Amino acid sequence: MSHNGCREETELLLEYAAGGLDAAGRVAVERHMEECGRCRDFVAGQRAVEAALDGWEAPPVSADFDRRLYARIEREASWLNWLSWPLSPEVIRRGLPVVAAAGLVLAAFLVMNCSEPAPLAPPAAARQVEPLGPDQVETALQDMEMLREFSGLVRPDPAM
Amino acid sequence: MGGATAALDYDAELMLRVKAGDGASFALLLKKHRAAVVHFLYRMVRSQAVAEELAQEAFLRVYRSRGAYEPTARFTTWLFRIATHLALNWLRDGKNERGQESLDQRDSGMPARQAADGRESVEQWMVRESRFEEVRRAVAALPANQRAAVLMHKYEEMEYSQIAKVLHCTESAVKSLLFRAYETLRARLAHMA
Repeated sequence: MSHNGCREETELLLEYAAGGLDAAGRVAVERHMEECGRCRDFVAGQRAVEAALDGWEAPPVSADFDRRLYARIEREASWLNWLSWPLSPEVIRRGLPVVAAAGLVLAAFLVMNCSEPAPLAPPAAARQVEPLGPDQVETALQDMEMLREFSGLVRPDPAM
Repeated sequence: MGGATAALDYDAELMLRVKAGDGASFALLLKKHRAAVVHFLYRMVRSQAVAEELAQEAFLRVYRSRGAYEPTARFTTWLFRIATHLALNWLRDGKNERGQESLDQRDSGMPARQAADGRESVEQWMVRESRFEEVRRAVAALPANQRAAVLMHKYEEMEYSQIAKVLHCTESAVKSLLFRAYETLRARLAHMA
């Protein structure tokens, strides 16, 4: 074992302090430490840290941990089921014909309403013309004839 | 390492069964890893109540992700990646002050019961508790990623490569984290030898 303070050396000492080296590795480190006070101090300090950390026990897990977890999973599953209910295969299998029929009826209704053209609004002038009856036409012609006769009386024909 | 490989295969196999809809396999995974995850999170956040809440979230995420699970890494790497992510987020969000109170309440009860049993005197308990508190404070003073690396290395006995996968960094970065963390801890705890 060399002594140049490199990372590999530190890694080796950490493994040794944690008891993670094989027999050959342990012998090599111990042989080196016989002559190297710096590495001895390093290992002593690291072993103190290991021992201190060993003493730090975590509290036991609560007895109802699993029950609470499964309750959360159950809640989530039921919520997801509710959300995905319209897409479930059963609903699709039973509801598809009904939805298809309703869609056809709606489509037919729309097509029928759209195919009958809306009546065009008549022009304003046309709206003011009222149809004349035969009697009115006849009266009008007689009035015109009468007017022509009056005109002849007022301005006699030069040819005459 | 052979045992670890066997465990890897067994956990992955269980998770694949969970993926196929086997709830009993999830119960086995939970039973096997529940304590390790809660204890890791407890040492990260120093609050038993918060640790259990985060652990529940971690297992819930595992269950939620079962459909997309592929055994590309160890199950424990995936599980601790989720747990570490939750703990780091919790610490980053600055929620640790409230958790500290519940930790103190919980921890002060356990040794007191032991002292009352007569297995150790009150003085012995106070000395021991003082030492543990010093350890807890020393670990808590580490930066969060150094703390996570030390806890996985020390208590979960994870290899550098696995810690690197959990923390999404290189093995070299993990070694740097650990060397700096242990250096700090040696400076603070060496007198306890």
